[in-house]
Amino acid sequence: MTVETLEVSSPSAGIARADAFPLALRDVEKRWGKAQPPVLEGVNLTLELGTRTWIGGRNGAGKTTLLRIAAGLIDPDHGRAQVWGRTANENRTRYQRLVSFQPAGDRGLYARLTVRRQLQFWARIAMMTPARVRPKVEETIDAFELRELADRRVDRMSMGQRQRLRIAMTFLTEPEIVLMDEPLTSLDDEGAAILDLAIEGLIARHGALLWCSPTGEHEQLEHRFDACWVLEQGRLVPA
Amino acid sequence: MSDLNSMGRAFLAVMRRDLHVFLSYRTRVVSQALTSVFSLTLFYYVSRLVHVTGFATPASYFGFVVVGIALLSVLYSCFSVSEIVRQELVAGTFERLLLSPFGAVRSVIALSLFPLLYSFVMAAVTLGIGCAVFGLQLHWSTVPLSIPATGLALLAFLPFGLGFAALSVATKQGNVGTTWVIALISIVGGLYFPISLLPHWVQTASKLQPFTPATEMLRHLLVNSPQSTPTGTAVVKLLGFAAVLLPASVFALHRAIRFGQRRGTIIEY
Repeated sequence: MTVETLEVSSPSAGIARADAFPLALRDVEKRWGKAQPPVLEGVNLTLELGTRTWIGGRNGAGKTTLLRIAAGLIDPDHGRAQVWGRTANENRTRYQRLVSFQPAGDRGLYARLTVRRQLQFWARIAMMTPARVRPKVEETIDAFELRELADRRVDRMSMGQRQRLRIAMTFLTEPEIVLMDEPLTSLDDEGAAILDLAIEGLIARHGALLWCSPTGEHEQLEHRFDACWVLEQGRLVPA
Repeated sequence: MSDLNSMGRAFLAVMRRDLHVFLSYRTRVVSQALTSVFSLTLFYYVSRLVHVTGFATPASYFGFVVVGIALLSVLYSCFSVSEIVRQELVAGTFERLLLSPFGAVRSVIALSLFPLLYSFVMAAVTLGIGCAVFGLQLHWSTVPLSIPATGLALLAFLPFGLGFAALSVATKQGNVGTTWVIALISIVGGLYFPISLLPHWVQTASKLQPFTPATEMLRHLLVNSPQSTPTGTAVVKLLGFAAVLLPASVFALHRAIRFGQRRGTIIEY
């Protein structure tokens, strides 16, 4: 088996091989319609192990599009997103095992399932071994302080509680790379502290975090990140 | 091997999830059983009111149509997968399925399993009500054979559901044409009346789909209706349809998903 290597010009890593990084975006370009200006243009980014990266930008700057490309959800028009040197289309199962994406908003939950059943379902869909599913789900319920809500249906929970569950689902499988789109939405201070702990855990096991949120959030969060960038006119510039 | 096991467990997880969601709507089974009762009542009296050519007694037509009604529920469940995919898109859960190691194509196939299994149970309930309330006479010696025969029919029907699911992924609409396709199939498949009553060219066209041989075979096994082709021929036909159409529909689904990913519209709804 050969692994394609690419030279990556990155704001965070200079020139380096794409397979040396958990996540590398190379010359990524995306436009919505041929007549439209590109949402992303020549975006290069690498995440390193044990680091937190923040990308900001005004509404509609392309942050969500960037995350969706990095997650393997949509294809760039040009360039590529690679996890350890491989794109999602080269080995999707491996890619999705390593990357976990928390989309913005409050969707992505089954309204009629309880918190526990929701977590069990996503653990099984992530193809965890049966012996691991139950303890991991219970551990996650405790880590995200969802014990009191464990047997409550999602459609009977508040927005903040749902957001906590969505974040719990993101960390459930212990991914190596976590991509988060506006994770603080609807979270109270307690929820934000739980998220901080989850990120600490990710960094402690040498994972990498990419967090996107509107520019205003940066002033409050700057101290938490190892690298901060802003998307302006489709390009990444230092924050 | 362990990957295959994991995949099998993921398929079961989707079915288990669907069961939990289904059970959370407590009145659904009762409502659907009542629908069966009313349909059977309607056709019970129609069978007694109208003399249908080719049927010696009202009971023989009633047996014919009960099997048709039971199969119609199976047919509906096959086509329901496109609407299920649409619901997943709207709920934002399709995105998560796509980003899971299980993957989108397998997930869509898995989404079709519970409705199929459930329709199988409801078909049995319909036949049970037909026997218990309306005196339907089943041909018990061949009834057990109808179980593998229904499984085979499902394999031949499923590609139509997956094909419409692909259309749903591409067009973001749940019921693109499914209603009229089901209505058309119920006519040319002979669900309510023998296809021998139809114009000759329609009879010829009806041979180009798997519903006619499946319906005829199941009728023969369940109520001993006469067959125009032997059971072996019907089995070969259904196997042929499944062998050709299943890979084709899975390919179409894969292409629809990749099309959405390339355009960036995959999670739009």
